[in-house]
Amino acid sequence: MAQDHPLPSISPDVRRSWWTPARRDHFIGYLFILPQITGLVVFVLVPLALMAWYSLNEWNVLAGTFSFVGLGNYEKLATDPALPGVLWASACFSVGLVLFNLSLALLLAVLLNQKLAGTVVFRTIFFSPVVVSLVAWAIVWRFLLQQDGGINAVLRMLSIDGPNWLRGPNTAMVSVIVVQVVKNVGLNMVLFLAALQNVPQELYEAARVDGASRWTQFFRITVPLISPTVLLTSIITVAGSLQVFAQIAVLTEGGPGTSTTVLVYYLYQQAFQFHFFGYGASLAMLLLLIVGALTYLQWSLRKAWVYDND
Amino acid sequence: MASVSIASVNKSFGSHPVIKDVSVEIADGEFVILVGPSGCGKSTLLRIIAGLETINSGTLAIGDRRVNDVEPKDRDIAMVFQNYALYPHMTVAANMAFSLVQRGVAKAEVERHVHEAAAILEIEPLLSRYPKQLSGGQRQRVAMGRAIVRNPKVFLFDEPLSNLDAKLRVQMRGEIKALHHRLATTMIYVTHDQIEAMTMADRIVVLRDGKVEQIGSPLDLYDHPVNLFVAGFLGSNGMAFFRGNYRDGQFVSSDGLKLPFATRGDLEGRDVVCGVRPDDFILTDDGVDATVDVLEPTGSETQMLARWGSQKFTSLFRGRLTAPPGSSVRLGIAPGRAHVFDAESGLRLDGQPPCHA
Repeated sequence: MAQDHPLPSISPDVRRSWWTPARRDHFIGYLFILPQITGLVVFVLVPLALMAWYSLNEWNVLAGTFSFVGLGNYEKLATDPALPGVLWASACFSVGLVLFNLSLALLLAVLLNQKLAGTVVFRTIFFSPVVVSLVAWAIVWRFLLQQDGGINAVLRMLSIDGPNWLRGPNTAMVSVIVVQVVKNVGLNMVLFLAALQNVPQELYEAARVDGASRWTQFFRITVPLISPTVLLTSIITVAGSLQVFAQIAVLTEGGPGTSTTVLVYYLYQQAFQFHFFGYGASLAMLLLLIVGALTYLQWSLRKAWVYDND
Repeated sequence: MASVSIASVNKSFGSHPVIKDVSVEIADGEFVILVGPSGCGKSTLLRIIAGLETINSGTLAIGDRRVNDVEPKDRDIAMVFQNYALYPHMTVAANMAFSLVQRGVAKAEVERHVHEAAAILEIEPLLSRYPKQLSGGQRQRVAMGRAIVRNPKVFLFDEPLSNLDAKLRVQMRGEIKALHHRLATTMIYVTHDQIEAMTMADRIVVLRDGKVEQIGSPLDLYDHPVNLFVAGFLGSNGMAFFRGNYRDGQFVSSDGLKLPFATRGDLEGRDVVCGVRPDDFILTDDGVDATVDVLEPTGSETQMLARWGSQKFTSLFRGRLTAPPGSSVRLGIAPGRAHVFDAESGLRLDGQPPCHA
């Protein structure tokens, strides 16, 4: 240490410098994470804090009024007659999407993990919607799904009279879910594929010698060993499903009635159509709470079913 | 227990033949080791017996039953894999019980079998652990335990010791051999390690390039290798080979040196390769001067790297020698211990006259 061994130095500063190697390493370390920290603060933490603040105020952009109302927006939230329906629609969308997305992704991954000709082509085909613009994707599907759209044209060739998919009270939600699954299933499929390829082939051979059927191999060996990926994809998919907006806006605008008015779309209506910014902010806080609680729940339940490799 | 009969089996991967007309008869209760350099097809042959690979032609029988098209689980075999292939998400006990559970054996029965097998392998304290919590040697034991639990007719081992360190390997070698004595079940064992083959097997099958080179007891193969390949492959200090031919009944090396091999009138003028195991060299005044390159004493024996003319070889002597590098030593060959092979075909040329026209 410089302090312990004072040397006849050129600059007296060097001897009693606080600029030690340890401090320098710390500084450089912070320098490296500075861009990320900056982004996090500017684009996540500050907006989050602002959102929390707005939710305590009544802010009408058109009238130019901004007044503190305390928990007023939250009281409104608790008594909003539309909210139960909105939460129900969100729940239907999320449950349907997560179940359909994960099971289809896993099925595709298992099929495309076979050593067959053309698997690379199919992997590409199923993945490509992931990189397509969300709004463009939704617009194309709106055309396909309308009363005289492409889907019904195909059905008509099979002498089937297709419904007005996006306007039917029963078909709208299903249509939105299917469009969203087809758009994003490729991402989970790729994650599952990577997980499947990490399962040693030798285990399946051992299982074959041990007398395990294909089903048993899948449920007793494959599923447990890819369970960390199942957890990851389910957390991502659940969180993503609750944030759905653009597809709803383009495909159904929350209709028919309010059957596809999910939480974020309702938030958008309140904040940007009716200009209740404060109430919109409190809805956003509710969304944060729901996503956080579900993620925490999934994370804490993992011990029961996720295989821990560490 | 059961015999295993492999008759004229062929196997190709695509257009590439990997097993070429292989026939081996393995007796009930025998410990047979398939050995050969990497890529010789030994593991493929084992996997064929296990039913993990199909065959293109030939017949495979376990006991009296033709099993060509029988699923692995119905062949009544158990296999120990090179990387153990333990199920990482199951405890040791669950790993061992897995095959019995699949067969619908009652729970109490399963537990009894698992505990019996664990007792044999002394892994009872490990039963509730997971594979990742075990050392290499313990995993190896669990893999064997998983096989024993099934009480199969045939045990198959695919290079089971290759992931262990040298000391543990020697120990497990002994344990597997002891296990064979105890269970008296047919065992087929693949290795590339000729020492494992020599020390453990009742019989060895030497494979090269998908073909059987020789089948026999370890000492039979050691003493009477049928060709240069087998001669060179077995034995821990590779056999010394000398190229040359027979003139006037005497072996003359390619350097023109008359070497002390037994006279062979029947090989006159023929190009041959003569082979000597390192420990079959003797120090004798009747011998031929060899130049000493290096002397490596190990205490109980001394290894000498030397040259006859330009042909280098290794020799091994009990006890201790002193010979400075560059000095010469008179070496002979123990009577009846030399091997003579045809230089072209590599086949062993025994006392009987050569059978070409």
